[in-house]
Amino acid sequence: MSEFIYRNKQQLTWALYAVATVLLVLFIGDQLAGKKAARIAQTLISGLLVGGVYGLVALGIVVINKASGVFNFAHGWMMVVGGMIFWSFFTVSEISLAGAGLLSAATMLMIMTTVSYRDLLKQRNLAITAGGALALTALMTVGGIELRWLHALAGTFAGAILTGLAVERFTIRPLIGQPLFTAVLMTLAVAEVLHGVTQIAWGTVELNLPVFVNPQTNSRFKPIRLEAFREALDGIAIIRVELVIAFVLALLAFIGFILFFRYTSVGLAMRATSEDQQLAQSVGLRVRVILAITWAVAAFLASIAGVLQGGAVGLSLNISFVALRVFPAVLLGGLESITGALAGGIIIGIVEQFGTLLNSSEQVGTNLAPYAVLMLVLVIRPDGLFGQKRIERI
Amino acid sequence: MKKHGILLALLLVIGGALPSLAQDMMDYPADMSECEVDLSGETINIFHFGDLSGPYAFITQPIVSALTDAVAYWNGRGGVCGAELAQVYEDTGGSREAAQSAYDRFTSAYGDELDLLLLYSSDDGELLREQLAEDEIVSFISAGSIASLYGEDGQTPGWLFASNPLYINQFGFFCQFVAASPELFPDPVIGFVTWPNAFGRSGTEPAAREYCGGLGVEVLAEPQFFLPTDTDILTQVQNAIDGGANIIYTNSLASGPALIASALVDLGLEEEITLAGVNWVMDTTVGLLGQRVLKSNGLPAVDGMLGSMPFRWWTEQDNPAVQFVTQQFAANNRSLPEQNIAYLLTWGAVDSILEATIRTVNRTGSLEAVTGAEIKSTMQSMDYAVLGGLMQHRYEDGMRDATMNRIAVLKYANTTMTGPATGPDDALLIDDGAGGKLFLPLVVPLSDFMEVPQLRGQ
Amino acid sequence: MANINPAGVFDTTYEEDMLIDRTRRDKLWKNLAFLALLLLPLFSVSGPLGLKLISDQYVGLIARVSIFVIAVQGLNLLVGYTGQMSLGHAAFMAIGAYGSAIMARELGFSFWAALPASALLTGLIGLLFGLPSLRVKGFYLAMATLAAQFIIPWALRYPLEDLTGGTRPLSVPAPIIGPFLPYADDAISDDAPLIFEAGDRYFVDVISLRFAQIEGAYPAIELVNPGGLVVPAGDVNMTIHEDAEGNTTGISYIASKAGEYRVAVIADGSTTSFAAQVSRSKALSFASDIAMYYLIVPLAALLMFLARNIIRTRTGRAFISVRDNDLAAELLGINVFITKLRAFFLSAVYAGIAGCLLAFERNSLSLDMFQLDVSIEMLAMLIIGGAGFPLGAMFGVTFIRLLQEAAIPMLRPWLADLLPRVFPFIDAVNITSAINPILFGGALIIFLVLEPRGIAHRWEVFKVAWKLRPYSY
Repeated sequence: MSEFIYRNKQQLTWALYAVATVLLVLFIGDQLAGKKAARIAQTLISGLLVGGVYGLVALGIVVINKASGVFNFAHGWMMVVGGMIFWSFFTVSEISLAGAGLLSAATMLMIMTTVSYRDLLKQRNLAITAGGALALTALMTVGGIELRWLHALAGTFAGAILTGLAVERFTIRPLIGQPLFTAVLMTLAVAEVLHGVTQIAWGTVELNLPVFVNPQTNSRFKPIRLEAFREALDGIAIIRVELVIAFVLALLAFIGFILFFRYTSVGLAMRATSEDQQLAQSVGLRVRVILAITWAVAAFLASIAGVLQGGAVGLSLNISFVALRVFPAVLLGGLESITGALAGGIIIGIVEQFGTLLNSSEQVGTNLAPYAVLMLVLVIRPDGLFGQKRIERI
Repeated sequence: MKKHGILLALLLVIGGALPSLAQDMMDYPADMSECEVDLSGETINIFHFGDLSGPYAFITQPIVSALTDAVAYWNGRGGVCGAELAQVYEDTGGSREAAQSAYDRFTSAYGDELDLLLLYSSDDGELLREQLAEDEIVSFISAGSIASLYGEDGQTPGWLFASNPLYINQFGFFCQFVAASPELFPDPVIGFVTWPNAFGRSGTEPAAREYCGGLGVEVLAEPQFFLPTDTDILTQVQNAIDGGANIIYTNSLASGPALIASALVDLGLEEEITLAGVNWVMDTTVGLLGQRVLKSNGLPAVDGMLGSMPFRWWTEQDNPAVQFVTQQFAANNRSLPEQNIAYLLTWGAVDSILEATIRTVNRTGSLEAVTGAEIKSTMQSMDYAVLGGLMQHRYEDGMRDATMNRIAVLKYANTTMTGPATGPDDALLIDDGAGGKLFLPLVVPLSDFMEVPQLRGQ
Repeated sequence: MANINPAGVFDTTYEEDMLIDRTRRDKLWKNLAFLALLLLPLFSVSGPLGLKLISDQYVGLIARVSIFVIAVQGLNLLVGYTGQMSLGHAAFMAIGAYGSAIMARELGFSFWAALPASALLTGLIGLLFGLPSLRVKGFYLAMATLAAQFIIPWALRYPLEDLTGGTRPLSVPAPIIGPFLPYADDAISDDAPLIFEAGDRYFVDVISLRFAQIEGAYPAIELVNPGGLVVPAGDVNMTIHEDAEGNTTGISYIASKAGEYRVAVIADGSTTSFAAQVSRSKALSFASDIAMYYLIVPLAALLMFLARNIIRTRTGRAFISVRDNDLAAELLGINVFITKLRAFFLSAVYAGIAGCLLAFERNSLSLDMFQLDVSIEMLAMLIIGGAGFPLGAMFGVTFIRLLQEAAIPMLRPWLADLLPRVFPFIDAVNITSAINPILFGGALIIFLVLEPRGIAHRWEVFKVAWKLRPYSY
């Protein structure tokens, strides 16, 4: 008997999983039996679309983890900062030249000094810095209100790069070669500082960010109503346009990163860096530059997510808590997996919505279901759904 | 600047009855007690602490703004009975540990001087209830929970005094309103779609359900919860509607009511379902955030939302208290989102604190002789029109919260600035400074002040 | 860190290598420090000596620091010594706190029974959440414990709402230590209420009431407050006494709060108060801050000492080998899974004790006290203090709490005054409310850059340098 079990371990395990899945499906199916088809379809759509936003947030966390092994607790606050910067450029008719110039100059300075401050001594680099700053400033200020999308994107881009590089330079770089715990804790400290900076610059009042507003009607884009399926679903289901946009953006970012990590040398270098920073350095990889790029990219991803979230609800400090809700998604997908980030986000989105559909008066959807699913998946697949299997040796 | 553009426009709207803007600043409106004791050379500290950087910061910061303005105002007039006014405050970031340590620091650093403490959140009130009683410190709070004001049994008045009615009483009052308007609500069923914290779920207690049931208003037993970070709450709203609700009641702030309203519009149910809420939904921020989505009639989604309004609102410019605060608000160049409940109520709280202090000083003869117990006995015998009519503070007969309330509706101003708009054509649209247009939120009271039902401790 | 001795001094036996107090001076300093800690409240403003040397704030602060030292030391056993990340420590504290509170309120446990019972309960639930550590490692495990951080408060909030009060605060009686010394016999009547002081016990002689006449009325004998409402279980503890035959002989009440109450029979919803023969006795109550201090601080010291010793045992060394390399540990014959579970159990027991102390110190519980940010904060305390060092927990908690409760409040008024003048173009309210996060985050950043391995590491380096003086290397 025991020999049989031992020999067919794999098959038996899968059989067990299959039984568990069938039981779960039966249980949920029973619970859902009383609901109208339209409700179930709506829940699925909402979950999928909300999951897209989660996926985008998770992607930012995964990118940093993939390149440096650090779990970034400051991601939520990077979202807030990015969203707020966007707001400053988007909703103000006259952008102050001094502000835009300062932001551009600081960003260019940070970019040019990524490797060493001494680089600035070269005249060529100085010229690039000045030229880049001028160009960025122009992008942020030239033209009237019609070009506000351009202004806002340029401003957010510069702001995100500045945030990412500054975080990396002043807090993560000094910890190269130190225990990972310390770097993780450092991101918590960074979160606090970003929190304070946001309060100083933008206050705490919830702001209106009209990115999903049709300028002609001064109203948000009308949701798509699935009238064609009204009879089939016994009711109406709707698709919210702003969430679709978020979802598409998440999808694009996801494809971009897959290609980036697979086909570019920088992507490969990032993966090498995450394995062992000191080893990577010793084979000639410029760990500082790679870490800097990673943080800048993650900050930009966070900004986009912040803008989407802020546009869908309202821009407040509470956005930072979205990152907390995404933690199970990151883990579910696997800490190093780009695919996993999106898949995890969507799964958690759907699980939350179905939990809410079945029982919202006990917060099953937000406080129990995602974590129960997470526990289950981790016990079955300890490295997440798409995470790297680690081979350990002594 | 964008902010000032909006602000001026708002002042113009409500300034239909405010010609005094260009004139001299008006006198202090409240009918305060005369000072019988000269306090020259002394300092009256207003102590307060709470969440200024945490999850509720968006609603609490105007408290500090108003206190700063009020302190500057009084000191500019030579102080209170000659005493200089000052504020001592700390930020707890919404953490209980921090609130406890702030309280410990205040009590040990100011000892006898600390007789009156202003708190923001009912969480802090619950945490400190016993300690305040032990240390004999009176506390002022805008709206406390049952547990903080009346203890676990709901019958033991403590040392905390609230400006607003208990949330559960507000809900009971709303049920009264619904029951009294059968032409508007022929077959009323109320479903809660609300935040899951202690504030969000007040009113979901069985006592409230029973009371409303007795009035013929059904309340669904299962509240639907959503979080401030949720982007999509269609599921919760649909759950409530599938449960039979035709009125959705919410205890949430800022974007919370706006989110529910836009879900209703998305579902095409804006006509069938009425949205209502606690006094915090009748706020400027809600009115500003709730206009991303327009209803089919062209007005913002939250237009027509009902809510409690247990005090005078910014738009009631015939009220001297409101006139006065509006003037101060403009004189201090505050921004539009700060023109909210917190700023208004804090001026009232300062007035009430000062009145209680003056009355107590008059009785005890000096500021040093004032103790928490003395202030408490003053408060318990108080029946005072705050700021000359912002609201009534009456804490006789063991009451710790306000007893009067009224129902109001959130509307948007019309082009002639004389009343609410009926459609997009006669609605006033002002430039938001970035190519967009803004509707101007208005709050219109629907009823007069009436007694709220007492639902605690049942 | 290996022990470094001055040149020429060697450890010649294993026992010597394992010594906690390596020199007599070590021992002296340690005992002196502990003594100073114990004497401190005597010099406080409300202390019995009336010396007013130390602000009361610090008595409370040290007590609260001590509670968190216990919790963080538990985390240290798990994270620092066994290398298993945990983000659910606050949830385990919640079990200890709510467990003990419910035992005291509903089951009539005294503090002394509730403390070990709730610690054990927490340990068992800790074991449950330690099970995934069989397969899950590293940061994934942190997230499995994150699940505990959400599932446990959820369970306390909803399924157990009848016991915990859900989102409402739960009051907890103050710990009382016996024995009860009788000091008065009274007769109560309708109009003479029982006047309780904290720690009082009233024994109501039911036989003298000839209660047999009222059938089935015993369970409905309650204490009521002047408003005629039943006194909540948190304020007064009621015990029914029975004789050998199972007849009720009396009911005793122990008050944890001062108050005025009446004994009443509640039947058919109406309340009747009545006269009875009562005897009154008094026990020591731990209601005051100083009393709680003397309960908490020695317990914290004891538990620190215990943890230090656990690490010196076979199990403790197994912890360390699992942390350093679990595969190697397995090859050495250590049962890695059992070792991890032991660490989870111990860690949860520490959290449970800390939670129980917190409940009885605060006298009021709320689920907000055990949110994720508290878990993260405790992890921060541990890493700042030095994970895997015996004194790491103490250093970390003290550093963070001093930063939050002494340094920042000291700097704050000054900065709140100065900064708006330096930056007149920014709203002063924005600045003042941003001071706390910026100072806290900034201090952490500077500290982590300067000392990434924690204060305890610096302390060890300092001790070595001191021992080796004047020769540095």
